[in-house]
Amino acid sequence: MFNLISTLLVSASLMSVSAEEAPVELTLEIQGISPSEGTLMIAVFDSRDAWDGGAPVRGMRASVDGETLSALIEALPPGRYGVKMYHDVNGNGELDTNMMGMPSEPFAFSNNARGRFGPASWSDAAFELSADAPVHSISFQ
Amino acid sequence: MSSINRRETLQFLLAAGGMAGLSNAGLAASQDPVFAAYEAASANDPWTLIVRDAPAAGFQGEARLIRGAMPRGLAGTLFRNGPGRFSRQGWRYRHWFDGDGFIQSWQIGENGVSHRGRFTETDKWVAEEAAGRFLTPGFGSLPPNDIGTSGPDDMNVANTSVIMVGDELLALWEGGSAWSLDPDTLESRGARRWGSGLDGVPFSAHPKVDPATGMVWNFGSDPFNGRLVIWQVGADGSLINAGLVDGVPGGMIHDFVITERSLVFLVGSYRYQGGGETFNGNFAFENDTPMMAIAIDKSDWSKRRVWEMDPGFLFHFGGAWESVDGEIVLDAALSPEARFVTRGAEAIMRGAPEGEDSSQTRHHLIRLQPGGRVSSEVYSADFIEFPQVDPRFVGRQRDLTWHIAWDESRERGATRIERRNLATGARDSFDHGPQTYVEEPLFIPTRGGREGEGWIVHTALNANDRRTELHIFNALNLADGPLASWQLDYACPFGFHGCWRQA
Repeated sequence: MFNLISTLLVSASLMSVSAEEAPVELTLEIQGISPSEGTLMIAVFDSRDAWDGGAPVRGMRASVDGETLSALIEALPPGRYGVKMYHDVNGNGELDTNMMGMPSEPFAFSNNARGRFGPASWSDAAFELSADAPVHSISFQ
Repeated sequence: MSSINRRETLQFLLAAGGMAGLSNAGLAASQDPVFAAYEAASANDPWTLIVRDAPAAGFQGEARLIRGAMPRGLAGTLFRNGPGRFSRQGWRYRHWFDGDGFIQSWQIGENGVSHRGRFTETDKWVAEEAAGRFLTPGFGSLPPNDIGTSGPDDMNVANTSVIMVGDELLALWEGGSAWSLDPDTLESRGARRWGSGLDGVPFSAHPKVDPATGMVWNFGSDPFNGRLVIWQVGADGSLINAGLVDGVPGGMIHDFVITERSLVFLVGSYRYQGGGETFNGNFAFENDTPMMAIAIDKSDWSKRRVWEMDPGFLFHFGGAWESVDGEIVLDAALSPEARFVTRGAEAIMRGAPEGEDSSQTRHHLIRLQPGGRVSSEVYSADFIEFPQVDPRFVGRQRDLTWHIAWDESRERGATRIERRNLATGARDSFDHGPQTYVEEPLFIPTRGGREGEGWIVHTALNANDRRTELHIFNALNLADGPLASWQLDYACPFGFHGCWRQA
């Protein structure tokens, strides 16, 4: 009997967890795109370690056609995510840099986070994705 | 009691929003100790005008002749650059070097002297004017709720120096692009673009112009990665070459000198450490780290000679030359340490001189000899800054350096203009008196002529009158005092460096 109750509780909690964690499609509302040509290269990260040099959990490219763009990212478990993106203006598939290695094409991070003397940090860029908050806005500044 | 309708609700919310903004501003003003300290000091001490906020619309005025007469043959424009905006919404920058670049032009000719001041419309200035507050971190300050940066030109204040290259006026900073200006109107044309891969690459504030060819040599410092950028630009402003030189310690390198053969750098002991919230916060003085002299071959940037010197720090050189056997002779304003950068320039922002002399600069003559030997001699126990040379002798053997000078009795800064003969040690000096604080002297050559034949032009704050002045001297006879002096009917913030455009 005790085991049965325990099993039921565990199942209930598993069910409720899995109900909460139903994957959510992430919509990125992107503004301030200029010039109106080229491709946005978008990468989504799910942890600080991945942000600081690991692999993204999602990646996509989107053709630029105007100042704004709505990008739909394949469903992800609810949780904390960070987005890095750059505007591949000349379509060469790379983030162009100047002689010193600093980006010379537009780039942006989720939360519109900006670094001080380097890229934005995970703690500044991470946001919560959930069924109640499936949309995140980012602007190229 | 009646319920409010929707329109009234909106008005209420808008009013509340406005109130919130006002109370925030009030809070910032009363709570920012640096802003409050400067406000208090400036009520009593007119010296604090050197770091006043210039009006956003700038200045325009005619200067009044107060002594002498315009020397015959002198006609042109003196451009000067320096920080001119230090506070917004009751919050004040912590460091003198943070202020937004403010260009002043002094048009000098037969009809007298007219003055104009205008803020350089950097991306930072435009964004912060629109926002009504500081947005980006500065050289030595972190404004409240800063939004970070996406690159050095986001925080570029273009506030350090100025140079004419061809028909273009460039406002210079140390960490990013030169800013292009119209020399007639001082209107901004945006960040100077040199070519592919060079956007945002630092173009420092002390370019050197070869007197024979008009070639402009400059550098940019990348202390984060221990390397320099070298720039070589033609007299017409076209890029000849730019490239990286690795293995140069991050030493907050502000100035350099050229000889006919070499580009010469002194890397002080104020070294890059990393981890700072501001640019300056990344550096610390290393008491046991020697200053390093590096001579890079102009024709092959991979070739270098290196010397070790006593620990120390500097901002500015006079000039240098190189003998056939490879000895490099240079003069510079050296200090034993870098307290001015970490403390003195912050005290000025509070409106109080720090009153220390441990990091004040003295005039040194240094010989970098073959085989790594170095000799250094000091001309005087007095302090000097802003050494200047006759531009016809840049990189060539010469005798003369002009500079500002002071001693312990002048804790608020220099009141003297001096000329030193490097060969004989002889000094020619004029002291404006305890209430006139002098700025960088600029040497303007006459046509033809021997070294030193020309004029010294400098600006100054007359603290008694609360007005900015312009003084012109015979460069070979300072002791007799100015040939002519003019006074504005207002006081401008101090500039750092200037340049001359011949009429």
